[in-house]
Amino acid sequence: MRSEQEVNRAIERYADTVRRLCMVHVKNVADTEDIFQTVFLKYVLSSVSFESDSHEKAWIIRVTINACKDLLRNFFRSHTVPLDVLMEQPALLPPDHQEVLEAVLSLPPKYKDVVYLHYYEGYTAPQISRILGKNVNTVYTLLTRSRQMLREKLGGEEYDFQDERSVR
Amino acid sequence: MISKMKEAFDKIRAEEELKARTRAFLAQKTQGYARCSAQPPRHLIAAAACSLFLLAGSYWLYFLPTAEISVDINPSIELGINRFDQVVTVSGYNDGGKELADSLHLKFTSYTEAIHLMLENEKVAALLSSDETLVIAVIGPDGAQCARMLSNIESCTAGQKNTHCYFSHPEQVADAHRVGLSHGKYSAFLELQALDPTVTPEAAQDMTMREIRDAINALLPGSGEEAMPSDSDSHGHHSNGQGYQHRRGWQNSSSSDA
Repeated sequence: MRSEQEVNRAIERYADTVRRLCMVHVKNVADTEDIFQTVFLKYVLSSVSFESDSHEKAWIIRVTINACKDLLRNFFRSHTVPLDVLMEQPALLPPDHQEVLEAVLSLPPKYKDVVYLHYYEGYTAPQISRILGKNVNTVYTLLTRSRQMLREKLGGEEYDFQDERSVR
Repeated sequence: MISKMKEAFDKIRAEEELKARTRAFLAQKTQGYARCSAQPPRHLIAAAACSLFLLAGSYWLYFLPTAEISVDINPSIELGINRFDQVVTVSGYNDGGKELADSLHLKFTSYTEAIHLMLENEKVAALLSSDETLVIAVIGPDGAQCARMLSNIESCTAGQKNTHCYFSHPEQVADAHRVGLSHGKYSAFLELQALDPTVTPEAAQDMTMREIRDAINALLPGSGEEAMPSDSDSHGHHSNGQGYQHRRGWQNSSSSDA
């Protein structure tokens, strides 16, 4: 089990990343808190020894995405809509960037992770494939399709997607 | 687009309240980090105790000698044999014995292999061919293991001349070790001392078994010819429970000599 100092350091370092992934996947504060608890409890109990900070961050991202999927797979959640969903989520989004975030959130779940990991975290397709446990070519396809969908939603002129950066 | 998206995601931050609640949850779930880290879980302690017990038990089972074999010609060696018929201790009881013990790798071999290795040793073979006497004693409690060992050693030495095998109880071993003699030589020494009280263990230490046996034969009333100890002799000097096995041993030696 990890020490309190280690855990506090991890919370300070990765809480924002976990929070962003929660925003991408779950729709209310209670679920976000559940994910936080799940992810950091796993971190506390995990005996994985991380080779580097990037390894540790990739582990946190993978555990967070899996926790979100588990939460969404829950039968009760998948068949009911909490009353606060539509009331809470828009309020959580920063108003000046609401448009772009809503476009990302409106993507089908399988595209959201690759968009976040590539465009925000700066991971390449091979790195994303390792984190998500998907084939590299699948990641390329998901990135291409998500780009098309975002262009359609946001318009091609104002939001330029030509900067492919280090996809490969 | 990328910069806009980055700016948008940058605005999303974990609230301090959320972090605080997560910390409180973790502290509660782990019942305080300090206590948990200081005390390993009970099942780990139990598993460690079981492993330790198994290790100690295995060590005891394997390394505790349950029988001994005393080999005397002039080099005197004692082998501790465990319940799996493996040699676990080797002790030389005079210079020749120590030298022989060092030159042969007898530990962790089976006792039959150890006997073969000793019989094949150049020095032992030379002594045997010069008419020296080899005495092998199986020392241990009455039981299947000692009976089996004696029988196997008799088979191993069946082709050797002047070789005598017998069984004895372990009571004499401590006395023998106290005066620096192996069990086989100590038995012969007691036999000789009964006839000649001036003989000391130090003197016996440097004598070969043949020399002790010759001295006994010379002092025996009505002696005039060499004879291996009779049933009554051996019974008298190996009074600690030789029984039929002891006699059987000497009978075997007679047949070997024949």
